[in-house]
Amino acid sequence: MLFMPENVIKGIFHLWENEGSMEAKMKKKISTWNLLVRTIRVMGKRSVLYLVSIVMLSASLAMFGVFSALLMKCVVDIAPTGDMRRLIGTILAIVAGGGISLLIYRFFCVRYNVEAKRVYGVIYEKVLDLEMKLPYAYYEKHHSGEIMSKVSFDLGRMGDIYGSRLRRTMTPFLQVIVFLVPMLLLSWQLTLCLVAVNGIMLAIDMLMAEPMRRVSRSLSGINSQMTQRLSDLLQGMEQARMYRTGEQTVQSYIKENDKYVRKSRRGIFFNAILSSSSNGFDLLCMLVFLLLGVFFVQKGFTTLGALAAIYTLYGRFSDQFLELGKYFPELIAYLAYAQNIFDFLEEEREPEHMGGLKAADNGNSDMAVSMQDIDFSYETAAQQDGLLLNQFCMNIRQGECVAITGASGCGKTTVSKLLLGLYPIKSGSICIEGKNVLSMTKREWRQNIAYVPQEPYLFYGSVMENIRMGRLDATDEEVMEAARLANAHGFIVNLENGYDTEVGERGSRLSGGQRQRIAIARAILKRAPVMLLDEATSALDNESEQLVNDAMKKLQRQMTIIMIAHRPSTIALADRVVEMG
Amino acid sequence: MKKRKRYFLSYMMQYSYLLLGAVVCVCMLNLAIVRGNSVIGSVIDEMLSGNEVRLDVFLPEFIAITAAGFALAFLGQQLAGLYSVKVSGTYRKRVVQKLYHIEYAYLKNENTATIINKINSDMAEAESFLQYPLPMLISDITAVIIYAVYIGSMNLSLLIVMLVSYPAVFWIAGTLVKKISVLSGTYRAKSDAITGIAQDALSGILVLRSFGLEDYFQGQMQKATKALVDNEEKRTRLSNTAIVVRNMIQWLPNIICAVYCVVLVGRGVFSLGSLLAFIVVLGKMVQSFIGIPWCFVDAAGNIVCIKRIEEILNTPDEISGDETEGKTDTDVIISLKDLCFAYMQDSTVLDGVNLTVRAGENIAFVGESGGGKSTIFNLLCGFYAPKSGSYKLYGREISEWNAQAARERLALVSQNVFLFPATVAENVGYGNPDATQEEIVEACKKAQIHDFIMTLPQGYQTITGERGALLSGGQKQRISIARAILKNAPVLLLDEPTSAVDVETEDLIQKALENVMEGRTCITIAHRLSTIQNADCIYVLSGGKIVENGTHTELLDAGGVYAKMYSMKNISESVKDAG
Repeated sequence: MLFMPENVIKGIFHLWENEGSMEAKMKKKISTWNLLVRTIRVMGKRSVLYLVSIVMLSASLAMFGVFSALLMKCVVDIAPTGDMRRLIGTILAIVAGGGISLLIYRFFCVRYNVEAKRVYGVIYEKVLDLEMKLPYAYYEKHHSGEIMSKVSFDLGRMGDIYGSRLRRTMTPFLQVIVFLVPMLLLSWQLTLCLVAVNGIMLAIDMLMAEPMRRVSRSLSGINSQMTQRLSDLLQGMEQARMYRTGEQTVQSYIKENDKYVRKSRRGIFFNAILSSSSNGFDLLCMLVFLLLGVFFVQKGFTTLGALAAIYTLYGRFSDQFLELGKYFPELIAYLAYAQNIFDFLEEEREPEHMGGLKAADNGNSDMAVSMQDIDFSYETAAQQDGLLLNQFCMNIRQGECVAITGASGCGKTTVSKLLLGLYPIKSGSICIEGKNVLSMTKREWRQNIAYVPQEPYLFYGSVMENIRMGRLDATDEEVMEAARLANAHGFIVNLENGYDTEVGERGSRLSGGQRQRIAIARAILKRAPVMLLDEATSALDNESEQLVNDAMKKLQRQMTIIMIAHRPSTIALADRVVEMG
Repeated sequence: MKKRKRYFLSYMMQYSYLLLGAVVCVCMLNLAIVRGNSVIGSVIDEMLSGNEVRLDVFLPEFIAITAAGFALAFLGQQLAGLYSVKVSGTYRKRVVQKLYHIEYAYLKNENTATIINKINSDMAEAESFLQYPLPMLISDITAVIIYAVYIGSMNLSLLIVMLVSYPAVFWIAGTLVKKISVLSGTYRAKSDAITGIAQDALSGILVLRSFGLEDYFQGQMQKATKALVDNEEKRTRLSNTAIVVRNMIQWLPNIICAVYCVVLVGRGVFSLGSLLAFIVVLGKMVQSFIGIPWCFVDAAGNIVCIKRIEEILNTPDEISGDETEGKTDTDVIISLKDLCFAYMQDSTVLDGVNLTVRAGENIAFVGESGGGKSTIFNLLCGFYAPKSGSYKLYGREISEWNAQAARERLALVSQNVFLFPATVAENVGYGNPDATQEEIVEACKKAQIHDFIMTLPQGYQTITGERGALLSGGQKQRISIARAILKNAPVLLLDEPTSAVDVETEDLIQKALENVMEGRTCITIAHRLSTIQNADCIYVLSGGKIVENGTHTELLDAGGVYAKMYSMKNISESVKDAG
């Protein structure tokens, strides 16, 4: 970048874009060059340190190469004279030079790697921040695998741009230049001829790059198909074995596998051409070198020692050229992943306040929860008759325990989601503890409600950590008190490590009833005025249900409780039943 | 114990002709390179001695060598690539076929996501073993041998000097490689931790959001990325020190050899042209030499993964005999005699179960969870083999039956309904691949799901999501009933849903069940007692034993476990009425 005017580089990038597919061109208004600049800008001021590190480490690595070549030159030049003292003196000087350049290399390489990982971490934090703050509808519309693949796949590859791709492209480029200088000094005629031959090789490699990229893209497509078939087979193994059709799933996997093999063979063909061109040109360059070398030495343009030095330098030079041909297309391909991340980061966040409605009056402060004249539908442009909730009203007094029931699809769960502020309502008002939710941020709003979902999600970590998520500054005693109230203390102390037992991925080491009671303990610990349970007992067996219901009995009167429920035994706990539908 | 079979190795042998071809090409390519170098050396000697260089003599030879180089490199790479693709393709196919027939216990011990991850990543490792370390190792070793022979033919004492000075490099490179690979292992763990946090936050988003845990997770993430950066600093410090040391050490034999060469040239034993050729060949040889330990480390990593897949392939298949027909001289469809079973060595799940089911009978199992009800179904379907005792299906021992043929006779409606990511019609049609569209619709009508399907945007052509996420539990249940109807097997195994569905859906499911039970022998696992009062016989399971059996009224009169369960249920029902 230091050695080439910017517009030349831009030109190279544009060349690349033109070779890209039409579809890609339509999709991307941003040029690759701008994308690269943007990718680097993410680093902020640290980008200077980062780029300088790359330049320095490339230069010092190249210097080491130059010293290696000089070693050979001095051996060849001094050999005929047989002057051992001079030979050893020169060797020592060169070894010292090589050692110093390696130490410089080491210093900058460490800086470079650390900066690369740091920016990776910064972007990861940004993505996580967004991942947690998307509007709730986004999570329901998009498969979690889709978001996760952005996080693990695209972001990982974007991290690779900082961690390797950019360096791999810049280093050979810089090294080529560093090697070129002494080669030109040693014999410019010979060097130019050799560079010309290499230019042809690079051009051939570049031609291969696009078809190879296409092959690997379709390979990854087939691969994901194969994974899906495999996952179908394994997840549905019971069905697959009980029905004759299981064989079909195996067959469709095999079909994809055969497709994969066929496509791979195309990739192999291009690989073979690359290998052929690199080995063949190696020999061809030897020939060119030989012919010219003979000619130049005979004419007295250069010395034999210079010839030897050029040759060793040239070996490295040509390796770097090959690398450039290989990594430059890869860098371009990887920028597409950075683009995905940038696009993702532009997704709209959940607004901090619920907007769109006129600020209404505060409600009656006797009411823990009051929902007035709520219209709601999941569709954005709904007609009046398409509303899921139409002029819905619900008032719940402080300390009351209310059960909401109704046929499936009547909107019970929707009410709980609206109470949590997960969706914007079309019209109407929601007041919690006598305060209109419009006057608070979403986070303040949610502070008022302790929620227990149907699927009691536990995070990775210990039982203690999971309960404490209800209130992060709670003491151990407070956590245990909450667990006692939730009828969970008894089983927790009998676990292998008591409260320090790891719950496993999604709490997989605990039973459904145990997880649910931990989720309730977590909600109790929050000390919110309102507790909201969304079908908390529906997936439990009788015994666990009994324990959960006992826990609920203990909490009555201490706080307002709203339960969405089917089971008669759960409904029986309530002071009042709201029938929806 | 059967001897472990080495599948990967046998596929490697099966296609070994391709590898052999590739090796021959690589050898010849190396010979061509060496030959080209010696031509250069001799030309330079000619030149130095003042003779006219005969272009017409060496040029044709060199052009021929170059052309051969192009062709051999292409052919070698093509053959090696083909080898890798063929072996890994066959291997993948074998593994998936194996999974379809593997004993059920293997699948239950691990969750599916883990198995998929394992197979995907281990397979990729197996493939890369064929693509990278194996051919590299072969070409590096042949290159080193050929170059060594060439140098030895130029001057034997030079070869000896080399052989003495190189093992040191070899050893040092080897130890460094090992240290670095340990460090990259910890790097992986740290970066996995970061992904883990992101995954956890996403899966638990509802809880995270309702509890306002955003800052907490952001803090966790900062901690994790800091750990990553710190680890990276440590790792690159060490690995770069290794690079410095390695590069300097690499010079050592070069210097020794070069100085020795100079001595040889000074004595007139060695020509300058040979010296030049030697330097070039030496450079190439060093490159190959240094590559060998890296290849071994990569290969060792790959082989661990291949071994894991071999373990899967060496896990026994589920038991399956040759009989495809039952005995016709009996109307006893299922008979269990002293049936015992345990998933693990010393925790008996079933302890001497005896029962007989005749054609057209309707029987039910009740009992506490963990009493062995689901285990009986697992055995009836032949997913597991009994530890002792006998299980006869249509008068024939289950071990004699061909597993597929036995299952043809059983229709299972289980609690965990898996919907494939395909259309509703395809999902129902899974019950019978030959079913026509009309038959599918008919089955759906009987399963009381037709009306619902018609409300979907594309009707029967609607794609159900991953794990059928678009449908509710009750709807999935009814699709599973439609499958069972379509399969039209004489015996129905029905595992009632435990989770409560609302009253309306319950009615629909009840109606659907009545339809599917009609004209079939039925075995039900009941979680709520209301559905089984008409059963011909109810078996109460407790601690792996049948403690009571009889009809509903008989059991109530007996006043045992069943009567107690029934009264408990009635209490909660009456509570509902009061509410």
